[in-house]
Amino acid sequence: MKYLLMIYGNREKWESMSPDAWPEAIARQEAFNARYRETGELLGSYGLADAAQAKLVRRVKGMPAVTDGPYLETKEYLASFWLLDCESEERARQIAADMPFADAEPVELWPILHESAADQ
Amino acid sequence: MTGAPPAPDIGALLRELAPEVLAAMVRRYGEFGACDDAVQEAMLAAVAAWPARGIPESPKGWLLTVASRRLIDDVRSEHARRRREQDLAAAAAPLAPPEPGPDRDDSLSLLFLCCHPALSGPSQIALTLRAVGGLTTAEIGAAFLVPETTMAQRISRAKQAIRASGARFELPGPAERPARLGIVLHVLYLIFNEGYTATAGPGLTKPELSGEAIRLTRWLHRLLPQDPEVTGLLALMLLSDARRSARAGPDGSLIPLSEQDRSRWDRDQIAEGVALISAVLPAGQVGPYQVQAAIAAVHDEAESLAATDWPEILGLYQLLEQLAPGPMVSLNRAVAVAMVDGPAAGLDLLRALESDRRLAGHHRLHSTRAHLLEMSGDVAGAVAAYREAARRTTSLPERRYLTGLASRLAAGEKTPGGM
Repeated sequence: MKYLLMIYGNREKWESMSPDAWPEAIARQEAFNARYRETGELLGSYGLADAAQAKLVRRVKGMPAVTDGPYLETKEYLASFWLLDCESEERARQIAADMPFADAEPVELWPILHESAADQ
Repeated sequence: MTGAPPAPDIGALLRELAPEVLAAMVRRYGEFGACDDAVQEAMLAAVAAWPARGIPESPKGWLLTVASRRLIDDVRSEHARRRREQDLAAAAAPLAPPEPGPDRDDSLSLLFLCCHPALSGPSQIALTLRAVGGLTTAEIGAAFLVPETTMAQRISRAKQAIRASGARFELPGPAERPARLGIVLHVLYLIFNEGYTATAGPGLTKPELSGEAIRLTRWLHRLLPQDPEVTGLLALMLLSDARRSARAGPDGSLIPLSEQDRSRWDRDQIAEGVALISAVLPAGQVGPYQVQAAIAAVHDEAESLAATDWPEILGLYQLLEQLAPGPMVSLNRAVAVAMVDGPAAGLDLLRALESDRRLAGHHRLHSTRAHLLEMSGDVAGAVAAYREAARRTTSLPERRYLTGLASRLAAGEKTPGGM
């Protein structure tokens, strides 16, 4: 069963962290990623660029129409996501709780629609 | 195109031989992980060599020779530890392949090792498909829609776990054996179900995994023809898989049992499954797979949903509830009770199940209640319960199906759910 973990943030939150604290924070996150890649449960981990880089794309008269993203105005936006494939939701919860920052900020956990119980 | 004779299916032959070759290698050299790598390389070499040169006279001997050489090259390489080299070089002194011919105990030992209790469920599945099924890591990754590197990681971790557990390449003793065989059957059933119901993408089934599970269970049945639960599991797979082409519409949408075009069921497969289960049930060593196969047989032999022998199905679910109690079994029994004694009796049973923590929030509880409410004429209640079930399922075709039922019912149409 596949799951998506997501964390949210904003510039203010990132800037409140002292520059000295970053290397350790990154190392902890890398250790988390390595740990679950090795178990064969982490399919991918992705960090998104700053909200200033986000675009909104529409199609107008068959042509792409691109504007700057809406996220500059929102309080928090999607910062990073992890794609898991693990044995059960219980296991996914364990992994989410093992995220380095889960003691400070919640991690969103979403099942991905792809499995079902037997029909009989 | 030339008039060359059709190439024999080298892939199928290799998958057939894979467990025998690997078992012989492990018997000879130990070191399951290294042997598995060597056999994979030998199979790749066969894929490259055989189409042009033809299949050798003794394909198994060819594979054993190549795999043995690969293993020894591997061990002699700089990265290998010196001591392992000495041990293996001594063991490998005469390079002639071990005697060919099926060795039942070795094949079984291999399967028991892949389904070792020290491994997680996904690891047991991956290792079984690779070592016993002879599938490549890339094929297994594709079947479960994960990258090949992820699947390689799972397989390598599984091998480490086997080494760390100290598991040996041998048949479990008589005391352990029923529980260990139970795990093996469960792993095969999970592979089957992944193919039968898993639905990444638009479709409802991944037939190649179901087919692989049936092939492996047939193979196990040949090794253990006297085991009633192995027979029961093979029958259950055949009787369920017989309905596969009728279970999904051309667009991958779900078609429930009540709506299936029964003329599209595979009669040969049903006949084979019925023969297997009929032969084994009278022996009296009844287990959960045999009972589930018997239930599937009753459905498969009915000409329509109305003509189904529901009292028989109810009796079988009662038996199953004693042999293997669980909330899903109770849920299915509630449906059978509703078909025999009316929806009110089924709904009473459901109310008792609602307090079961394992079922709370499960979509099957809501969809079953919706179905029984609709049978009882409570349209508003059924619509709400179908919508709740749709919100909770993690299968896309099932969500579309349940949402569709709710909409049709709300619009005053009769649905297949109400029969």
